[in-house]
Amino acid sequence: MLERLRAPWSDRRAELTLGAVSLLVGVAVVAMIAFVAVQAWPTLRHNGLSFFGSGGDLKEQFETMQNAGPHPPASAYHFRAWPLIWGTLIVTAPAVLLGIVVAVLSSIFIVELAPVRLRRVVIPVVRLLASVPSVIYGLVGILVVVPFVLEHVISDSDKVALQDTVLLNGTGVGVTIVILTIMITPIMIALICEALLAVPNSWREGAIALGCNPVRAMLAVTVRAARPAIVAAAVLATARALGEAIMVSMVGGATNFAPRISDGLTFFLEPFRSVAAAIVDYHEGIGAPALKSALYTLALLLLFSAFVLSVGGYLIKLPMRKYQVRG
Amino acid sequence: MSTYAPYRRGSRDPLRGARGRRSSPGEWRWSDRLALAAAWGTGLLLCVIAGAIVIYMAFRGVQYLRPAMLVEHTNPSISQAESGGFLDPIEGTALLTLIGLAFVFPLAVCTALWVVEYGRPNWLARIVESAIEIVAGTPDIVLAVFGLALFQLPFMSVFSLKAQGGGVFGRSFIAAGAMLSLIALPPLFAATRDGLLSVPSHMREAAYALGKTKIATIRSVLLPSVRSNIAAGVTLGVSRIIGDTAIIVVLVDSLRVESGSGGPVLSLFKGTGPTLTSYVYDNSPAGEGGAPQKAYAAAFVLMLLVLGLNLLVSRFGRSSADETGLTAAGAVV
Amino acid sequence: MTRIRRVTAALLVAGVLGVAAPAAASALTTITISGATASYPLVTLLAAKYNKVHPHKVKFRITQGGAQIGINDVAAGRVSIGDVSRDPLSTDPAGLVFYPVARYGICVITNKANPVTSLTTAQAIAIFTGKTRSWAGIPGASQTGTIDLVSRTSVAGVLTNFQTILLEGKKVSSLAAEEPSEGLMRQQVENDPAAIGFVSNYQSDKNTVHAVGLNGTACNRATVTNGSYTGTARFYEVTKGKATGAASAFIGWIEKSAAAKKIISTQWVPIS
Repeated sequence: MLERLRAPWSDRRAELTLGAVSLLVGVAVVAMIAFVAVQAWPTLRHNGLSFFGSGGDLKEQFETMQNAGPHPPASAYHFRAWPLIWGTLIVTAPAVLLGIVVAVLSSIFIVELAPVRLRRVVIPVVRLLASVPSVIYGLVGILVVVPFVLEHVISDSDKVALQDTVLLNGTGVGVTIVILTIMITPIMIALICEALLAVPNSWREGAIALGCNPVRAMLAVTVRAARPAIVAAAVLATARALGEAIMVSMVGGATNFAPRISDGLTFFLEPFRSVAAAIVDYHEGIGAPALKSALYTLALLLLFSAFVLSVGGYLIKLPMRKYQVRG
Repeated sequence: MSTYAPYRRGSRDPLRGARGRRSSPGEWRWSDRLALAAAWGTGLLLCVIAGAIVIYMAFRGVQYLRPAMLVEHTNPSISQAESGGFLDPIEGTALLTLIGLAFVFPLAVCTALWVVEYGRPNWLARIVESAIEIVAGTPDIVLAVFGLALFQLPFMSVFSLKAQGGGVFGRSFIAAGAMLSLIALPPLFAATRDGLLSVPSHMREAAYALGKTKIATIRSVLLPSVRSNIAAGVTLGVSRIIGDTAIIVVLVDSLRVESGSGGPVLSLFKGTGPTLTSYVYDNSPAGEGGAPQKAYAAAFVLMLLVLGLNLLVSRFGRSSADETGLTAAGAVV
Repeated sequence: MTRIRRVTAALLVAGVLGVAAPAAASALTTITISGATASYPLVTLLAAKYNKVHPHKVKFRITQGGAQIGINDVAAGRVSIGDVSRDPLSTDPAGLVFYPVARYGICVITNKANPVTSLTTAQAIAIFTGKTRSWAGIPGASQTGTIDLVSRTSVAGVLTNFQTILLEGKKVSSLAAEEPSEGLMRQQVENDPAAIGFVSNYQSDKNTVHAVGLNGTACNRATVTNGSYTGTARFYEVTKGKATGAASAFIGWIEKSAAAKKIISTQWVPIS
C-alpha cells in the first residue's frame, strides 16, 4: 500500500484529497456556527430583534438570567444588548481606522525608506509584537496606563459632573482604543509588508524610469497593486479587534454603561463593556440556561459580523481584480 | 510635473549620484512630500512604540527573572519565594505549539492549494474561504467554549479523561491544540494562498508544457517557491497559538499534582497542564493576581521563545528560496 | 528495510508503548477538581501536601473556572470534586453534597491613601447601593471626592456572599465596575485613591490595600478566627452524592488531619 501512496498521484486523486481536507475545514466551521445558533435560539425567540435595542439595566438582566435556575420562565430571557454592541463599535472602528493608516505608512517606511539595518531589526520586532498575548497588553494597561490616565487626565470636576451616571476611574474608551490599536497594527504591518514585497520590483522601477519620484512610484504603483492585501489585512485586524476579550475586560472598565458622545471629550474616559468582554466576564455562569443562551447569542452576533466582514472584504476586492499580481 | 529638474548654473553636479539623476524631495509635489513625511513619522513612531514595549518587557523581565526559575517545577506554596519556577509552563507551551502546528499545517496548506489550484465547484471554494475568514473573526472565547462543549461529549473521552463520576473531563492538550489550530488556520491559509496567487502563471505553464501533471507541478514547482510565504504564515500562526489566552485557560490550564514523573507519550497529550500564557494569566490580576513579578518574568521568557521561533522559521524560509532560486515574486534570484 | 518502513515500524512501537504504559500508570486514581478561583490557592496547597503525606496514591488535576463551573461540572460527573466559595443556593442542581473545609472573611477594602478605620453596616449599605456618592460625609475618610465603587460580576460567589451577609440582602448599585476576578478588584482599588471594594481576607492580608473594619471590628485572619468579625463565609468541596473512594479519602483528610489544619490556618480559618 505504501508503494501505491508513493507512486505519482493522478490529478483526480489529488483533487479529491485536497478537496476533502478543505471540505473538512468548511464542515467544521459550519458545525460550529450551527451549534452556536442552536444554543442561541431561546434568547432570540423570546426577544426577537429588540435584542439589539436598549432598555433596562443590563446588570439586572444578567442577574435575573443567572438566578433563574434550570427551568427559566419566559420573562427571564429578557435581554437588551445595545450597550455592549455600542461599546464594541466605539472602540473597534477608531482602532481599525487608525491601525490601517499607521500600518500602511509604516509598511512603506519599512519596505522603502528605512535603512537596511533598521529594517532587519524592525521586521522581527513587529512579528514579535504580533504574538504578545493579550493578557500582557492588559497587564501593562492596567498597571501602567490606567493609573497614568487616572492621575493626569481625569480631573475631579469631570468625576463629580458624572457621578450619578457613571464612575470615571481611568479605565475606559480612550485607553482601550490606544491599546487595541497597538495590538492589531503589528499583524497588519507584517501582512502589508509581505504584500508590498510581493509586487514585482519591475513595476515600480518602470514607474521611476518614467520620471516618478520614489514615494509617488511607491504609492501609485506598489501600494495600489497591494490593495487587495491591504483590504485582507484590514479585515483580519477588524476581526481580531472585534474578538478581543481579555484585554478589553481588563482595561475597558467593566460596566454595562453605553458611553455618550454628547459628553464631549469625557467620552474617552467613560468605562464600557464590549460584547466579547461580556462573554468572558459572564462565562462562568454558562450553566444557567437563560444566561447560556444569552451568551451564545452574543457569540452568534460576533460570528455574524465576521461573516459580514468577510463578504464585505470580498466585495471590495472584486473591482481590484485587474491589479492582481499574477502573470 | 516638476520631477524633471532642469540644470541650473551652480547647482550640484547632476552626475553626482552613481545611478543617475534623482530628484530630491525639495522638488516634489507637496502631497508627495507630505506622504514622505508621514511615512517617516509613522515609521519612527512605530519604532519608538515597539521599542518602548519590548524594552519595558525586557526590563521588567530581567528584573524579575532568575535563571533558576527556568528549570524549577511549579510548587504550590504560600510565599512567592518557594513557589518554584516555570519549567512546567515552558513544557506546556512547547507541547501545545507542536500539537497546534501538527494540526494546522496540513489543513491550511492543503486547503489553500485546493482553493487556488483547483477550486471546483466555485461555490464550494467561496464557502471554504468565507468559512476561514469567519474563523478568523471568531473571538477566542467562543472557540474555547465551543471546544469545551465538544470535547465533553461522551465519545470524545478518548481525547481527555473519564472522571470518577462518569462524565468526560474535556480538558487536555489535544483539545486545546485542536482549537488553537483553528486560531492559526486563517493566517497560514491567507499567507499560502497569497503566495500561490503571486506565482506568475508562466511558471505553471512551463511545467505543464514539459508534461508535468498538476499535482506534480504543485509538489516540485509551486510549493518550493512559496516556502517563504508559508514560513511567514507559520510565524504568524504560531504567534497566535502562543499568544492565545482564553482557549488555554478554559481548555488545558490546570495544575498537575502528582508524585513521580508524568507518563509517556499518549497520556501526555491527553493530560493537562499549565502553559506560559496561562501562567502569566494566573499570576496577573486577571487570575488571582498573586505575583505580577512572576507574570513579567514568564512574559519575558515567552517573548524570547517567540523571537527564537521567528528566527528559526525565517532562516528555514529564506534558505529554501535561495536554494531553489525562486522567490514568491517569480523573479530568478 | 527501506527507510519508510523503518520509520513506520518505529512509530508503531512508540504508539504501542504509549497506549500500553498508561494502563500500567493508571494504577493511580485521578482526582479531578474544578471550581472557584478564590479557593484555588487553598486547594492546590492541600493537594500538594496530601501527595507528600500519602505518596503514590492519587493524581490530581486541578483547574479553575469559577464556583458555578465547579457546580455544573460535578453535577454532570465531569469532575470528582467541585470547589465552591459560596453557600448552596436553591437553584443548584439536586443531589449535591457540600462539605465545608475552611472559613474566610470578606473585607471591605479602600486604597492605602484612604484608610477608613471602620464602617457601620448602614454606612456600607448606603455606599454600596449608591445612596452616598461622596467621601465627604464619611468619618475617617481622607478623600473628599466621588466614591468609586468596585464590585464583581454577578456570577461571582464572593459577591453573592457579600450582598447576603454584609449588605443584609441589598444589591450593589449598577454604577459599580464589575471586575471579573479578585485580583482585578484589588488592582483597581490599588490604582484609585477614591475606590472602595470587597475581597476575601486572603487578598486583603497581602497588605497592598487597606482593610476596613465592620461595625468597629477589624477584618483580618485573627478576628475571623475568634469569631468577632461577622462577615465570614465558607469554602466548600462539593461532590455528587456522598463522596466515595479517593475523593472521600481526600476530603476526610482535609477535615480531620492536623497537617491540613495547619495549611488552612496560614491564610484562612479552619472549620473547627
